[in-house]
Amino acid sequence: MSPTPTATLAGPGARADRALSLNMKLLAHHSLEGFGGMGEGMAMQRALDGRRILWMAHEAAPKNFTAVDVTEPRAPKMVVQAELPHARVRSNSLDVVGDTMVVAYQTQSVGDKPAGFDIFDISTPETPKLIAHFDRSGPHSRGVHAVWFVDGEYVHMASGAPDFEPTHPNDDQFYQIVDVRNPSKPAEAGRWWLPGTRRDDGAAPPKRLDPKFDVGFRAHNTNVFPERPDRAYVGYIDGGAVILDIADKANPKLVANWRYSPPFNGFCHTVLPLFDRGLLIVSDECVQDDGRDWPKMVWVVDARDETNLVPVATFPSPPHATFAHRGGRFGAHNLHENLPVPASFRSDRLIVGTWFNAGVRAYDVSNPFQPQEVAYYVPAAPAMAPTGAVQLNDVYVDDRRIVYTVDRHVGGLYVLEMSV
Amino acid sequence: MNALARSPGADPFASRLPVTLITGFLGSGKTTLLARLLVHPGMRNAAVVINEYGDVPLDHELVAASSEQMTLLANGCLCCTLRTDLQETLRELFVKRRAGEVIDFDRVFVETTGLADPIPVLHTLQTDGLLGAQYRLNGVVTVVDAVNGMGTLDAQPEAVKQAAVADRIVVSKTDLAPPAAVERLIERLRAMNGYAQLATAVQGEVDPAWLASIAPARAAAGEEELERWLPRAAAARRAAGEPGALTGGLRAVGGTHDARIDSFCLWFDRPFTWERLNAALQTLAALRGPDLLRMKGIVHVEGEPAPQVIQGAQHVFHPPVALAAGQRTDPRSRIVFIVRDIPRASIESLFAAVCSL
Repeated sequence: MSPTPTATLAGPGARADRALSLNMKLLAHHSLEGFGGMGEGMAMQRALDGRRILWMAHEAAPKNFTAVDVTEPRAPKMVVQAELPHARVRSNSLDVVGDTMVVAYQTQSVGDKPAGFDIFDISTPETPKLIAHFDRSGPHSRGVHAVWFVDGEYVHMASGAPDFEPTHPNDDQFYQIVDVRNPSKPAEAGRWWLPGTRRDDGAAPPKRLDPKFDVGFRAHNTNVFPERPDRAYVGYIDGGAVILDIADKANPKLVANWRYSPPFNGFCHTVLPLFDRGLLIVSDECVQDDGRDWPKMVWVVDARDETNLVPVATFPSPPHATFAHRGGRFGAHNLHENLPVPASFRSDRLIVGTWFNAGVRAYDVSNPFQPQEVAYYVPAAPAMAPTGAVQLNDVYVDDRRIVYTVDRHVGGLYVLEMSV
Repeated sequence: MNALARSPGADPFASRLPVTLITGFLGSGKTTLLARLLVHPGMRNAAVVINEYGDVPLDHELVAASSEQMTLLANGCLCCTLRTDLQETLRELFVKRRAGEVIDFDRVFVETTGLADPIPVLHTLQTDGLLGAQYRLNGVVTVVDAVNGMGTLDAQPEAVKQAAVADRIVVSKTDLAPPAAVERLIERLRAMNGYAQLATAVQGEVDPAWLASIAPARAAAGEEELERWLPRAAAARRAAGEPGALTGGLRAVGGTHDARIDSFCLWFDRPFTWERLNAALQTLAALRGPDLLRMKGIVHVEGEPAPQVIQGAQHVFHPPVALAAGQRTDPRSRIVFIVRDIPRASIESLFAAVCSL
């Protein structure tokens, strides 16, 4: 045998038109009738007749949301697909509790409408009925980017507000709590913004990131779990991970802020607590193509003392050489968030997340210091993919360990079986 | 921090790629077996590690693209020659798989050299933590050729060892040997290793599933699946009576090397404690490690909600792996031993003594 180094094969990783997999198998793919550009709102309803209905928000107009019956995961069937009122608004995010769905609306520019959220009665999934619209439009507001609605009583969200003028236009969306116990009359219950991001709030504005990476000091995911109803776990984009005390919803108070950018390149997206283990799983979002904002990672943070957050590991990244220049974005994004609802998979050892062109990936965090990658699926580039590669945007795992993941541009829905 | 017992984690079986060792003496038909196996559609995503491109080409016609060490076969399989050692090769394969430089292989077959003692290869998978995180041992397949097998077993202690540690024995070239000779060879192999499943093959033709699914593939394996790996009773030819009964008269057919080898199953009605199980196995390994050719068991342990899969060879034991709770499995523990010059009674009394303390 020759001792000289050998050339590697032009394997499937060199080609975006080939799928890659480990411990995940594709059961079905649904193009969503040609409108396969999906956002980051996915929720599962157990309908009264026993069906499992997966609700998904679209990434951009013209479609609002799509529901697919995934009772039989090998044969997903579209149930309904809704339109947006115009092309200058996107829904992007939604959540479902029982037969009630909340859908976010974010406009392209401030001052436009609808900017807020809708509440729908989806007891008959084929015909969602609008219950109420909660308006957050205003001269400095684009409305709602992301909602969290898991208890049927409060919507936690990242949104602008009619009365809120940010110090910097990128800082328009902050944390708000909306009481929807009377769903026909939603009412603001509380709010928190990073001090210095509201004009004349008396605090010094935060130091901005390098203009290459400045995407704003604003809230993204705002998670509250029944294990700690007095805590909100907020990804605050360029401001890092935030824990808030919301025992008094009218007056949220800062408990901790782990800020890691700079030196990193901003966009803290999700803060997922693993309560029994004293850990937070914190994901970034990659927002630039071709590896330009690399590295965008998933962090394991020791939160046993919630006032002293200490990062202890990052998830092993998919190989940079394989993916960075494969097309589009390459880096972390959404996690399956252990939703405290009946149809959701919940685990404090297996964490599943999307990595844009590196697909959907599962990690075993049994040892928080050495997370292991245990499964992945990278779909082949969908037809007409504008970046030339898949861009998996969001993921939902149901209690059968079926993984649902969506492409950001054209690919629609992929249904996978996870064998780990 | 609270216990995490109820939180779903990774399945320790399903999350690892199965590795099957194919052993057998030179000319026994390992490569023919592999070549036949790989053309089966279910094997399309297999990776094969061979020592050298041998006299019998794996399948010359199948070669589609090649680098020095890795060859992509026309049916999609990946064929890879062993570099410096198996550890390095398996690690490199996984790294390349993650990087998408090779196919998403879903199983690995390792063809050992004819003279190889398979036990160090088993140790490689059991002691290398990095490999252990990605791979699991599916089983050992030993090919014995019906024409020369008897002579090889007489002359070569390694050949005896290969047959002794096998989970599956394939008796090849049965069309070229007189039926009575085949029969005698099979009896001899069964006398030595009654817990291996045995099949005959002409031109390497065997049921692919029989070779590809040996060890349990998921934690939720039921008794039927476990039985494929650890049969509750030895092969029918063995003496009647208790499972694992000594083979008596069949010993007469054995040669000098294999007469010293025996396989038996011990059954335990009461669950172990981890301390007692460890003490018994460690004592056995410490005093007779070299003669404990292989041990595999499904055991119940106090405080554990489900049975544990244990296995080892000589002085090296694989960390126990828990099956999923709630499956229908035998309520008793069973451990199969394949040993050289260790009387069954000695191991029985060792366990009896340790468990009585």
